[in-house]
Order: sequence, then C-alpha cells, then structure tokens
Amino acid sequence: MTQGAGVPRSRPFARWARRAAILLSVFGPATITAMADNDAGGVATYSIAGATLGYPILFVLFIITPLLGITQEMGMRLTLVTRRGLADLIREKNGVPISLLIFAGLFVANLGTLTTEFAAIGTVGRMLRIPVAPFVIGTLLVAFLFITQGSYRLTQSIMLLVSLFYVTYVISAVRSRPDWGLALSNLVYPHGVRFTGEYLRSYLIIGMGVLGTTITPWGQFFISSFAFDKKMNQDTLKYSQLETYWGAFLTDFFSFFIIVATASTLFARGIILTSGEQAAEAIRPFAGELAGTLFAVGILAAAFMGLVVVPLSTAYAFSEFFGLSGSLDSDYQSSKTFYALFILQLIMAALLAAIPGISLFHFAIATQTLNAMILPLVFYYLIRLASDPRLMGAQVNTRFQTRFTAWASIFIVAASVLTVGALIFRW
Amino acid sequence: MTFISELTGRPVTDVDGKRIGTLKDVVARPVRMFAHPVVNAIILQSSAGERAIPYSELAALLSAAIPLKTTLQKAAPYEFQETDIRLVQDVLDKQILDTDGARVVRVNDIELVRVNGHVVITNVDVGFLGILRRIGFERLGRWVAKRLGKDMTSGAISWDFVELLMHDQAMRLRVPSSKLANLHPSDLAEIITDLNRAEHAGLLQSLDLKQLADTLEEVEPDFQASLLQHFPDEKVADVLEEMAPDEATDLLAEMPKDRRQGLLQLMESDEADEVRELLQYDEESAGGLMTTKYIAVTAEMTAAQTIEHLRKAGEEAELIYYVYVVDAGERLIGVFSLSDLIVAQPQTPITEFMHKRVVSVTLETRQDDIAQTVSKYNLIAVPVVDAEHRLHGIVTADDALDKIIPTAWKKRLPHFFGASQ
Repeated sequence: MTQGAGVPRSRPFARWARRAAILLSVFGPATITAMADNDAGGVATYSIAGATLGYPILFVLFIITPLLGITQEMGMRLTLVTRRGLADLIREKNGVPISLLIFAGLFVANLGTLTTEFAAIGTVGRMLRIPVAPFVIGTLLVAFLFITQGSYRLTQSIMLLVSLFYVTYVISAVRSRPDWGLALSNLVYPHGVRFTGEYLRSYLIIGMGVLGTTITPWGQFFISSFAFDKKMNQDTLKYSQLETYWGAFLTDFFSFFIIVATASTLFARGIILTSGEQAAEAIRPFAGELAGTLFAVGILAAAFMGLVVVPLSTAYAFSEFFGLSGSLDSDYQSSKTFYALFILQLIMAALLAAIPGISLFHFAIATQTLNAMILPLVFYYLIRLASDPRLMGAQVNTRFQTRFTAWASIFIVAASVLTVGALIFRW
Repeated sequence: MTFISELTGRPVTDVDGKRIGTLKDVVARPVRMFAHPVVNAIILQSSAGERAIPYSELAALLSAAIPLKTTLQKAAPYEFQETDIRLVQDVLDKQILDTDGARVVRVNDIELVRVNGHVVITNVDVGFLGILRRIGFERLGRWVAKRLGKDMTSGAISWDFVELLMHDQAMRLRVPSSKLANLHPSDLAEIITDLNRAEHAGLLQSLDLKQLADTLEEVEPDFQASLLQHFPDEKVADVLEEMAPDEATDLLAEMPKDRRQGLLQLMESDEADEVRELLQYDEESAGGLMTTKYIAVTAEMTAAQTIEHLRKAGEEAELIYYVYVVDAGERLIGVFSLSDLIVAQPQTPITEFMHKRVVSVTLETRQDDIAQTVSKYNLIAVPVVDAEHRLHGIVTADDALDKIIPTAWKKRLPHFFGASQ
C-alpha cells in the first residue's frame, strides 16, 4: 500500500498539516498575478460594466474564471517543469527578432497600463483629499525601496497584504444593499433586464473589455517569471496548479462584488459612469459615506498592485529575453538593469499621467489595442511550448488542454479585436 | 570571419548547382587538445525534411551559396556522436551563467573562422551588435556607433572561456564575468597556432618511436617540448632514448625541472647517464655555455673565398669577428680575425695569415676558468674543443663573463655581441 512519504496512515492530521504547509510554501505567484489582474484599470472596467449593464454582466465572470485559471496554469506548469521563464523559452526556441518584437510591444503596452494606474491614483487621491503629487512620489519611493532593497519574500508578503484591501469591495457591495438572489442567479444565466439591441451591443463591448483587462500579456509573463524567481520546481506542481485555480477564483470573487456595488446603486438608478474612478464618488449617495470611501481605498490598493506587478513583469521579461541577471533576491549592483528598468517605467508613466490635457480614455484604448495584438503571439508560444513533449516530459499539455486553450485564445483575441474596433469605430 | 546568423538560411546546392535546400544548422565537434570545436557537418533543410551532410562533402561552407562536391543522393551519411554540438539548436540564444550561477548574458551569435581547410568556432558573440545582426541592422548599428565614436566590437568571448556541459542547459563561464573584460577574444593568429600544434600533436601520436624521434630532432627544442606536453612520461622517455644524446639533452633542458627528473628516472640507465652528463655541462661548463653558431673554414681556402663564405654564413653566425680553421677531422688548427682577413690580398691562402697557436678551452672547463682565459688574452670569444682537439663551439665573452662581472658593471660595458645579427 503506498502512502505519503513517511506519514503514517493512522495520523491523518499530520498528513493534512504537511500538505497545508506545502501549499503555504508555494502560495503567492498565482494569487498575486490574479489579484493584479484586477488593477485600477480592471476595477474601472468592472465598475463601468456594473453601472452600464447591471447584474447580467456577472455572467461573463462565469466564462472568464476558468479561462484565466487555465491559461495561468499553463504558464505556471511550463516554468516549474522547465525551470525557465516564458520569455527565456521564447528567446531560446524562437530567436532574437520575435523576442524583440514581443518585448517592444510589452514595454509600450505596460507603460500604457501604468499610466492608467497613475491616473486612477490621481482621481481617487483628489476624492479622498490626499495631496496627489506627494502621494504619488511617496508611493514611487516606497515601491522602489522595497523592490530593490527587499527580498522576494518581502515583495510577495507586501503584495499579498495589499490584496487583502480588496475586501473593501465586499463591504461596499454589502452596504449598497443589492438583490443577492438576482446577482447570484445572473452568474449562471443573464436575466432581469430588457435585452434591447442597444443593450446587447454595450454588453458585447463591455464584456470583452472585462475579458481584456483580466487576461493580459503581462499577466502571462508575470506568473511565469514570479514563479521562476521563487525557485520552485515540479515537485510541488500539484499545489501550484491548485493555487492558479484558486487565484482565478479569488480575483473574480472580488470582481463580483465590484460589479454588484455599482449595479445595485448606479445601474438601478440609470446613472452612467464616464470613468471608472468616478464610481467611488458616485455610489456614495446611495451606499453611504463608508462604502464610497472603502471603494476608493480599494482602487488605491488595486493601483498599487499594478504599479508593482506591471513594471516587474517588463523588467523580468527583459532580463529573460536578454539573459541578464534579474531577481528580487539579488542586490541592486548585480541586477542593475532589472531594477533600473523597473523604476524607469514608473517615472515615465508618472510623467505621462501628469501631462495636462492628455486623454486617458484614448490612452486606455491604445493600450488595450496593443495588448490585443500581443496576446495572440504570447498565447501561440505559450501553447506551443507547453505542448512540446521534449520540453515538458510527462507534464505536457493534454490534448484537451491544447485544444481548449487554443480555442480560448482565438475567442479572447476575437473579443479584444472586436472591443477595440467597437470603441474606435463606434460600431 | 563569419557568423552563424549569416550562414543559416543560405541556399545549399549540389555539384551541378541545383538548389537542394537551405542551411538549417551547423554541427561542430570538440577536438582533443584544441579549445575550439571544428565544424563537422551541416543540417540541410529541404522539402524532404532535415538531413545531416558531412563537412567533407561540401565544396565550401563560408560562401553565399553552399555547394556540395557531389549530388545529394551520393553524399555520404553523417554519423552523430554524443559530443557533437548543433550550433543553432544547442548554443545560439543560450543563457550564459557566471561561475557563481548568476545570469550574465545570452549567446547572441557565434563566430566561425576558416583555418587550414577547417571551419572552427572561435568566439561567442554576446554584444549588442550581435542582436542587431540577428534583426538585420548590423550595418546601421556600426554606422551609428562610428558616429558616436563608440567601440561596438567588444562582446566576443572566446570559446575557451565558456563551457556547454549539457546540451539542453545553460552554458557556464569558466572565468568570473568580472575578469572577462581583461581576456581578449580569440583571433585568427592564435587559432592557427593552436590548431597547428594540435594537428602536429595528433600526427605525432600516430608515429612509432623511431619516426617520432627523427621528427623531433628536426624541430626547435622549445617547440619539441610543447609538442610532447600531452604525451605520457613513459612514451617520452622511450623517445628520448631513441634520440641522439645531445638532442635529447636539449629537449630535456626545455622541460620543467620536475618532469625532467621523472623522465631521467624512466630512461634506460646508460642513456640516462649520458644525458645527465650533458645536462651537467649545461649548468656550469663550456659545453653548456657554448654556441655552435660560429664560422669555421678549411685550410685550403683563400681570403677572397672566405669573405664570400662569410657573406653567406655570416647571417646565421652569432659571431663573425673570429674565423676558425679546421682540418678534415674537424680539429681546430688555426684562427684569424676579421681585420686579418680584410687586410690580406684576395688570393692569399688563409694559412699564410692565420694564427696557429690557438687559445681554447675544453668542454669541461668551468665558467670561472673560461672567464679568466677570456680576460687574460683579451678575447671576444674562445673556442671549445674536446680531448681530440675537435672544435665543438665557442663561448662568447658575454656568456663567459656573465657570472663573474656584477650585472651593474656589465651594463656599462659596450655590448659587442648580438650587434652582428
């Protein structure tokens, strides 16, 4: 009879304790990546979705969650088995031109994403009566200090701690006294509104926007690099796989409450949001002072997640593509390029966001377009690598995984293209 | 030099010039005693799939189109070995790790050079220029660099300094990256020397003892020593026994001291004693100090003939100021100086102006005594003879006085010798 290594069958508690310890030790990369997918841009999109479409948009979460879980799992598995990051493998298997192309796209798109994070901090900061410029500079300094001086563990702990602030959305949602029955049933099938042509058009565009902010190129690179930097291997693969699905569930668990908070207040009263950050201000009269403030704090936490994770994903990818030293555990001197690239993006994005008169809406659209263009490339290589038996051995994609993700990527790409098209050309 | 990124994708043709596919990869094989792998085959990508073609079947590799010497059907098959390296698949874009395991850089390109009919891997290119070359912007990069006055040629690491342990894993630096800047990349001259040496050594190993000894006697001693560097001591000892004792002595003198002692113990005692005796000279006697690059003529020559001879032989000689006269048995019978020769009438036989009482030393004469002789008779050089008065060489005053006169003094003396060269 086979048993877990050295654990007597008669002591199930010890076995469970051991499993829990392993789970805790691998815990982090997938959860942080998934939570960062709900960055300021993500929260804005969900807020608009809830305000414009009401509960029926919740059904989209039902589709996004498994999609996010499966694509993230593939990146995680690829890294744990090959002991290399996604960018490492793309460079090694496909050479310089494609690496440069993907990196350039990622760099620009991430810069765009970062700019929207800063813009969100600005909007919410004014609302909470925080002096924006000192706040932004302070945030930058804090992020730079703990990234360069701290270790992997410290960064991971801070990010996990910040993601606890997402609980504020749950409170905001509860305070807005939603119809829970209607909300939950809309997860399974969309109902409860009049499905006019105009509504369906908005549903399509916004639904795809939601997909686009949740499943991103940087998310694919980040989970792989962050797992690599954690120096994990395939001994704990099962636990890490479990974490990717848990992360996907958790992020959409919070998305649910963001949508509920705006759907039950703004949609119900026909108030249209022009920007996501307004949501915190807008729900105040209906859900109360506390709910509005908590919502704003949630956006700040989300923006901070983005401020750390998005530029880290670029810096990690650069180090991998060009083989430089890039680890949160290395000191500033030996990973100079890595850290310099991290802070450079933050400064550039902060300056971009500070340009008066710049249209953040157009910025968001351009970023979304670029992401939509890179994503098919990233998925193509991700699926190809994870389906290569020479690379993956026994952990190669099953036929179902390859097919499902291939179709899912086609779906995501089509969705992204449609969204961008609809927004630019006002289809 | 050529880069692998430039080679891949080039058309491959058969002997009739018909295009049969493109070059996909290059296979190199490490060679014993040579730090750089040598190209052994190419991987041809054709409509029928991949195929390995031995380098020996190629008419050229580093050319715009790669022609075979034969048709594709007649081309010999290539047998892969465990140690074979596929440059594109196994090396290009590979991560290079520092000696402590930290990531340093990636292999952006691989440099190939043609030497003695082989194509050899010289360096891995880790520079920015390598990246630009891969996307076709090398010329633009060079132009910009020139405008900015920056040196973009850096970024090549000699293959000596990296190692590929496992084909599917990262390469490692053999020296810490911090020291890398001080190490120059391999250049053609160095590769040629290394390759020649490796080839000679490879050739020598296939010879029997007699052939090996004869071959070595033809080579300069310092080069002999380096050729035998990788031979086992037993074999070297056998070769030394085969060689003439004085040749063996010269060779041993070039070897490191500890290896020399070991070799002498391995040699048959008779031969070893003889060599030891000669080595003994080496240290402190005329036999060891002397040079054989002197001018000697026979007694029947005239002044004019001697001058003619000096013109030819003078180049090689260490000293032409003294001309020694020997008989048919190589015995020293006279000496005259360059001034004696020049003032003599051209048709005068040399026997008429040569000095018959020659001051000489024997092979065993110790350095102190040679020095005394040199200074007593005010000589520039003194001939060395054996018991039968046969001439073996000369000791120049320079060498004789080496030990006796303190260095500081010697520096103040005019340096006569060596100026003749």
